[in-house]
Amino acid sequence: MSEQKSVALDLEGIELHYGYVKALDGINFKVNQGEAVALLGDNGAGKSTLLKLMSGVHKQTRGTIRVHGEEVHFHAPKDSANAGIEMVYQDLALVDALDSATNLLLGREILRKGPLGWLGFVDRKKMIAEANAETELLGVKIANLTRPVEMLSGGQRQGVALARAAVRVNGKPNGILLLDEPTAALGYEQKVMVEGLIKRLAAAGIAVVVVTHDLPLAFNATSRMVVLNRGRKVCDVQTTETTYEKIVGYITGALPAQEGI
Amino acid sequence: MKKPDSLSVLVFIRSWGITILLIALWALFASTSPIFGTFENASLILGAASISAIFAASIAMGVFSGALDLSVPGTAAVAGIILGKLIGGGFDPFLSIAIAVAIGALIGYANGLIVQTGLNPLAVTIGMLSVTSGLAAILSDGIPLFDKMDTLGWLGTEIYFGLPSTFYVVIVVFAIGTIFLTKTRGGIRFLAAGGNAEALRRAGVNANTYRLLGFILSGALAALGGVVTCAYTAQATPTAATGVLFDGLTAVALSGISLAGGRGSLPKVLVGALVISTIGSGLLIMNIQPYWTITITGLLLISALAGEHYLGKAVARQAVGKSKVSAHKEAK
Repeated sequence: MSEQKSVALDLEGIELHYGYVKALDGINFKVNQGEAVALLGDNGAGKSTLLKLMSGVHKQTRGTIRVHGEEVHFHAPKDSANAGIEMVYQDLALVDALDSATNLLLGREILRKGPLGWLGFVDRKKMIAEANAETELLGVKIANLTRPVEMLSGGQRQGVALARAAVRVNGKPNGILLLDEPTAALGYEQKVMVEGLIKRLAAAGIAVVVVTHDLPLAFNATSRMVVLNRGRKVCDVQTTETTYEKIVGYITGALPAQEGI
Repeated sequence: MKKPDSLSVLVFIRSWGITILLIALWALFASTSPIFGTFENASLILGAASISAIFAASIAMGVFSGALDLSVPGTAAVAGIILGKLIGGGFDPFLSIAIAVAIGALIGYANGLIVQTGLNPLAVTIGMLSVTSGLAAILSDGIPLFDKMDTLGWLGTEIYFGLPSTFYVVIVVFAIGTIFLTKTRGGIRFLAAGGNAEALRRAGVNANTYRLLGFILSGALAALGGVVTCAYTAQATPTAATGVLFDGLTAVALSGISLAGGRGSLPKVLVGALVISTIGSGLLIMNIQPYWTITITGLLLISALAGEHYLGKAVARQAVGKSKVSAHKEAK
């Protein structure tokens, strides 16, 4: 197997109980490096819950999670982050009063050269140039990098949050990116932008998991689709080997689960 | 296009409303009284504004980092009494001031540590207000200290180049604070900790450090305010002057800063403090009962909060409309 195909995330026999309710029931889920996988399902099917296991928000009742072949135990989101998993939450986690460039570079601000830099002075010009270069490389359009993000539209804010997560995983050969409904607030052009971004990141070797209701996004941007229904995996297919109608059938339960799943 | 135009008007009002208010007040008072517009009176206003401004900076630093520190008057009282004891005991004045300010920072540090265990910051700092007020009275047996306090005139009452000494303290504090907030990595993270600590955490930065720093700076500046008050009045009083809390809070609110944290501009806080002392001085010159100043300060606080609430919403509404427009333009 080439390095591109190495398994990034491997969930095996996952069960999650909320009291007597089984939210997830015996789920096996794998993502390879360089692969974008759509995680689909109706509301309550368990897809967001499964994503929360991968990002360390919840802990499974039974089953194992492996990252790059090694078993991990996530107790908090930071454990997942330390394992190299980057997650874009629906709440975006942006600092409203700061501009897009600063939000993008938060935690890795660029300092001035010389004595002022030793005192912690930032180089605004370089930060804006760097933010420009990074967003351009990702093909993300942000109207104005120097405007506070509170003054951006929902779609633009989503763009900033996506770009930030993408920058953090980009360039890491073993990066894993989890996206929760990345197109929920977006207009048409920005959806196309997100699709392009997911494809480019996968092509660069990143493992991407997209939880979404947006079937066109799943068909356009991912190479494999996993459908959950009432906490069970009912379908796991290459995107090129299925149809829109079949996927809708699995999501609604009109089609029975695939054999051998 | 209509929307961007009304947006820029709204943003202009949000950015400059407080300065316009100050100029309008000056014009109003100057037109009603010939004394008001004189240099001497301006210097008096600056003197009165300076002490409020230092306390306002103390409260503002807390607010910026996401915590409203209500222990400020108590911290100031303790710092003042300790300064009074040290000066009275013949200590070097600079060393005494440094010790007093350091003790303020320590009180802030204690506040921060307690709050970080998960307790409500308002309740904790109110508790600390009582603790420190009590300590100030215990340390001084409840009596004001006068001994050798008049030696601090160079800091409190002297006039240099026509401007009161206290105003120079304000310039130094506000200049350093503004440079820190706007130009440095620490300042960016400090504001981010107040705006969205979770975002900072996810960026791999320890947000707690910066929230702790907010309490420390608030405490240190509160102590500095206490020190300057002692120098100005030539005595150290053991009672916590809660009035400074309300003036400072009003100055912060007037500057259009959301008390929710994460944003802020010290120069605007200074303008806010100037507005308050301008009203005080103007009403005095116009022979209006001084109690009105307190009432008007309260009304100002409420209307400033209402204005910020309304403007913030209006700007957000308009900005969304505008950025949609610009996104489409770029795509074509």
